[in-house]
Amino acid sequence: MMRLGWWLIRAQLLARRSATALSMLAIALGVALGYAIHLINDAALADFSRAMKAVQGEPDVVIAPRDGAGHIPLALVDQLSRDAAVAVLAPVIETRVRIGDTPLLARLIGLDPFSAALLMPTLLPDQAADAMGSLLDGAVFASPALAEKVGADATLMRGAARWQARIGGELAAVPAGEKLLVADIAWVQAHFGPRDGVGEIRIRLSPGMPLAAWRAAWAPRLPAGIELRAAEDNQARVSNISRAYRVNLNVLAMVALLTGAFLVFATQLTAVAQRSTQFALLGVLGLPPRLRLLQVLVEGLAIGVPGSLLGLLLGCGLAVGFTRVAGGDLGGGFFSPATPVIVPQLLPTAGFFALGCLASLLGALYPAWLNRIQPLAQALKTGFAQGQARGGGHARGRDALLILALAVGALALARVPAIADLPLGGYAAIALLLMLGIVCAPLATRALFGAVARARLPAPLKIAVQNILQAPLMAQVAASGLIVSFALTVSMVTMVASFRTALDQWLDAVLPAPLYMRSKAVPLPAELLADLARADSPFQRVERMAASSFSLDPQRPTVALLVREIDRRDPGAQLPFTGAVADVAPGGIPVWISEAMQQVHGIAVGQRLRLPLLGREIEVTVSGVWRDYARQFGAVVMTADDYLALGGRFEATDLALWPRPGQEAAAQTWLRGAATRHGVEATASGEIRELSLSIFDKSFAITHALEAAAMLIGLFGLAVTLAASVGLRARELAMLAALGFDRAMLGRAVVFEGALVTCVGLALGLAAGIAVGAILTHVVNPQAFHWRMPLAVPWPPLLAVAAATLAAGMLASGIAARRATRLPAAQVLASAQ
Amino acid sequence: MRRRAFLALPPALLAGAVLAAPTFAPVRRDTRLAFPRDHGAHPGYRTEWWYVTGALDAPRANIGFQLTFFRSRSGRAEELVSPLAATQVMFAHAALTLPGERLLHAERSARPGLGAGYSVADCGLHVGPWSMARDDGAGGERLRLAAATPDFGFAFELAPTQPLLLQGEHGWSQKGPRPEFASHYLSWPQLEVSGSLRLDGSPRPARGRAWFDHEWSSAVLAPGAVGWDWIGINLDDGGALMAFRIRDAGGGTVHAGAMLRDATGRQTRFGPEAVSFRPLRRWRSPRNGADYPVEEEILVGPHRLRTRPVLDDQEIGAHRPLPVAYWEGLVTLEGGLRGRGYQELAGYAAPLRV
Amino acid sequence: MLSVAGLGKRYPGAARPLFSELRFTVGAGEIVALVGESGVGKSTLLNCVAGLEPADAGTILIGPDAVDMARLDEAAAAALRASRIGFVFQAFHVLPTLDVAQNIAVPLLLNGIDAAEHPRHIEELLARVGLAGFGPRWPASLSGGELQRVAIARALVHRPSLILADEPTGNLDPRTADEVLSLLLERVRACHAGALIVTHSRHVAQACDRILALDPEGLR
Repeated sequence: MMRLGWWLIRAQLLARRSATALSMLAIALGVALGYAIHLINDAALADFSRAMKAVQGEPDVVIAPRDGAGHIPLALVDQLSRDAAVAVLAPVIETRVRIGDTPLLARLIGLDPFSAALLMPTLLPDQAADAMGSLLDGAVFASPALAEKVGADATLMRGAARWQARIGGELAAVPAGEKLLVADIAWVQAHFGPRDGVGEIRIRLSPGMPLAAWRAAWAPRLPAGIELRAAEDNQARVSNISRAYRVNLNVLAMVALLTGAFLVFATQLTAVAQRSTQFALLGVLGLPPRLRLLQVLVEGLAIGVPGSLLGLLLGCGLAVGFTRVAGGDLGGGFFSPATPVIVPQLLPTAGFFALGCLASLLGALYPAWLNRIQPLAQALKTGFAQGQARGGGHARGRDALLILALAVGALALARVPAIADLPLGGYAAIALLLMLGIVCAPLATRALFGAVARARLPAPLKIAVQNILQAPLMAQVAASGLIVSFALTVSMVTMVASFRTALDQWLDAVLPAPLYMRSKAVPLPAELLADLARADSPFQRVERMAASSFSLDPQRPTVALLVREIDRRDPGAQLPFTGAVADVAPGGIPVWISEAMQQVHGIAVGQRLRLPLLGREIEVTVSGVWRDYARQFGAVVMTADDYLALGGRFEATDLALWPRPGQEAAAQTWLRGAATRHGVEATASGEIRELSLSIFDKSFAITHALEAAAMLIGLFGLAVTLAASVGLRARELAMLAALGFDRAMLGRAVVFEGALVTCVGLALGLAAGIAVGAILTHVVNPQAFHWRMPLAVPWPPLLAVAAATLAAGMLASGIAARRATRLPAAQVLASAQ
Repeated sequence: MRRRAFLALPPALLAGAVLAAPTFAPVRRDTRLAFPRDHGAHPGYRTEWWYVTGALDAPRANIGFQLTFFRSRSGRAEELVSPLAATQVMFAHAALTLPGERLLHAERSARPGLGAGYSVADCGLHVGPWSMARDDGAGGERLRLAAATPDFGFAFELAPTQPLLLQGEHGWSQKGPRPEFASHYLSWPQLEVSGSLRLDGSPRPARGRAWFDHEWSSAVLAPGAVGWDWIGINLDDGGALMAFRIRDAGGGTVHAGAMLRDATGRQTRFGPEAVSFRPLRRWRSPRNGADYPVEEEILVGPHRLRTRPVLDDQEIGAHRPLPVAYWEGLVTLEGGLRGRGYQELAGYAAPLRV
Repeated sequence: MLSVAGLGKRYPGAARPLFSELRFTVGAGEIVALVGESGVGKSTLLNCVAGLEPADAGTILIGPDAVDMARLDEAAAAALRASRIGFVFQAFHVLPTLDVAQNIAVPLLLNGIDAAEHPRHIEELLARVGLAGFGPRWPASLSGGELQRVAIARALVHRPSLILADEPTGNLDPRTADEVLSLLLERVRACHAGALIVTHSRHVAQACDRILALDPEGLR
């Protein structure tokens, strides 16, 4: 029996080589994409945590201030050090410094060698030398990446603070690529602060001390501005950073996989239809009904298994190639561009393989069932039976009810809030909408063909239309394939276009000044600010901003704090608000939060918040919500006056500059010179704009590639199904030819029929696609990335794609018709089967 | 006098920068000690240690224990204006001798302010959660010790039964042939130990006798010295005996001394001419091959004495901040005077570099 | 080999039953022709006997152990067909994707017999139907008569008790039809199987051992 099954599969694969290969390719594409995304991200995460372990050691707990301006007071260090459950307590001060007047930025880690020896040995210089002593004496050690660039002495600068440091040697054990400097904590403290404390404490607990119990005991005793992060919190934070982005990429992979499943469906359905006589014969000869089902499923698997294997190979290659070229970042900008090592793990590999096989099985399921229920005697005589054409008011009523239920379901799901930060409701709504499109196909087919049939038409066209009305299955299959692929393409194009339009407008709003200057996470040099303030500088206005961050939740990425020179009375002049701005009582401190902040933390305008700032909790009032496409994890804007009044230091990291009228060119030159001198970035607003849009386009390049792939696969599915449906009717066409219709007339009839089917698919696909696009724009994007934007449907490209598809559908039908009518009618009629 | 392994640290870490040598406070012969102030730390001096060694009778007989705190003025970062500057570094050692079985040992180190601390007003020390402190509670004067490691832990209360014993001349103790090599040194013998000892998981009540030493100095070992032998014994009759000798590379004595306080409280000081040490039995360390004279004949004035260890292998391998090995353990004293106490044999694994 | 009793069939919605209370037997080595006008139910009767359509009443005992086809479910009916019945069709129904030997091996495979172990058996069978050496050829290269010879070999390869044939010579020219018919009769007799042949051809019917005529009143 196995042998018989194998004979049939082999014959089938050989007979339908191109369709089979394409189905395999589609499955492979889906598997490859999902697998590559998984591999790349996994490797990037592993790389990230390896680097983090080398630099941070592997503490059980980190106690750190919740904002950049906070610190750990020495009294708390003393208290913690006396806890018998603390085996190792390693205080650290970490800051970013500029090395001399170069563009070199480095992490400066101040550590205590006594505790670092136990927790972070990779950060200590070689013990054999007199390194420990010189470390205590103020020598600075550099990682290999920096050691070759710095000499025996280096000026370390941060804002107005500077330290003329002696370089003691190289830290051989630090991973390549890390740019860091290590010094004794006291020396870092003396030059860059904090005055009476340290930056953070890394703790390893005594063996046998349960982390949860220790955390529960200490968490309530910590001051408001300080948080306790367990090792798992850090992992969660790292994984949260890229989560939404990854999930969206994976959904794209799922789309490819589903399209693959659909292609398997189309292939297997036509395969079953074409071989219905053969299967009926085998049934008559005694092939058990169970095996008639199984055979088609196994044939599906015969596409799925090699397809999945190919996909795994392709995915692995894709991941390796991608990381070589672009590093471990998937275009989201979350990880360093270093090349991580791709190491496939057994379980996920097996998972993706299974997913590919599952998709092929899914595609084969309905054809297999159809094959199982074929009435043998009838099928043996007359070929493929589509079952009773579902007509009658009853079935139509049921269809209408199903459509209503799906529509209501999709609407309801679109309103479900994010689950575990993922827009699961939105995804489910998209699935329902696609199903809705497919379920509408029979109704739409009936309606359209019914209307056309009533019209006055030449006889062959009328016959073709009647034929579809009587046996609509293949037409519906062709249409639904098109509905799915076109809907997905329309939705992606719509979403990306909406986003790009919104980004474009937003850039206008947030880049009012002609020139900008920026220094990443390090205060701009004091000399530069002094030069700008001089009367002979070519600028009439300079607006300063200080960017830092704070932590609201130890498991989530940090929130940006932007201290800006904003006029309290008119914040709308500088921030793109999305709604009304609330007044804040004179004594209160107003803040303006980004949309992401509003959504992640569920904050409303007018609400009072306690923010962890300056090492304590500060009550502020939310005065407005502004649009921010730059910081996915939220941002809070506060006026510089308020921040200073709270005791903070306003150390500008970003400048917006307006040149004096007529001195624009001089201002540019001045700025470029200063930027080179101080190692900061200077850009014109136009450059930022171009760069932002090009980054945007790059990060969506993969989306466009997928759209094209989905559309191509959909088109091919359409062609295959249309051709198969024409092929099934070869006898009927031959009969018509015998009755006196010439080939051209028959060809026109078939093309007309194909055009009608394609139109049904396109119309429903367009409707479903715009609905899905709306869900992507209004539900998925805000929930996953916390970005809102208005819907913008790009009609010209959509209509162009639709026209091309229509043409392709007609072409496919035409070719199929030519092939079907190629043989003399008499021969077709005589050979019967 | 017990500079111990501490002095064996390479000068790179502890001996101060070569160029800007700090001025350490000198040990002066005419200094009169005052308490509790002089129980506290003397950060102006280069080195200082507080040492408690003892023998327990419960939960088992002849369990030896020690808890030691060292303070070292590193000579580093002296000009740095920072509350975190590593001008001082603290180390602590805790050890437990299980007679007939083995010795357990652990160590910690930190700088004051970042996990360690000392008081200059009274004995108040901690390195991490390990601590040693003096107080005048309702029950009278007490020394309290606490230390815990994964293998063992103890919390002891030490009650004095006798007054302090100032070594040398009113606490001025000469360490070499010339008076420049000297320290301030005081002992507190016959301390009554109560509290709890944790071994194998659960804490059990403990009691015994202990000996407290506190010594500080800025001078180092005399030239030519490579190590020393030392004992501090609580005598069975209530008396106390301390004896030491400093050795040269050939095993000869560079300097020696002893102090005996008998049960009645009468103190007798013995100079180099009246004190001698002679090895009787040696034990070779399987780890580094060092040959320790674990049984010695000691002559102190008219008394002929010999030591017997409760366990041969009481060698301590300290790693922090740098590796050094020495022998320090519980012994019984036999001969003309009988008692229990600690013996230290340093500089046998490798000459101590000074 | 076949014993039918009380067989009745009525299509849902039909005014009167197609047939009812049919009774006949086909013995071992006996060849029975079933004749009748179009639409009288010959094919339905054949389908009922083969278990491809359910009968409303009656028993259909097949083979020496007299298994009642009318009482079997779909899967068991398929198993019974595979083991006890051989089929010959008007349209030949030779699988185009298998070669001649493979086509003939299909019933063996359906009975769980590894065809690879019986190449000689299939070669002999091919020789007996006049197709010696045709094993590796593809159906597309065969004439109608040759195809029907392949079908006859396939119908007999697993030594069935009963052969059901539906117009076995309907698609053949008269000379070929004669050859194929005599081959079929000869082989069925040689195998001691029973055969029920539905035919419109008087020539074919007369070549059989017995003729059953079906009309709306029943069998005669």
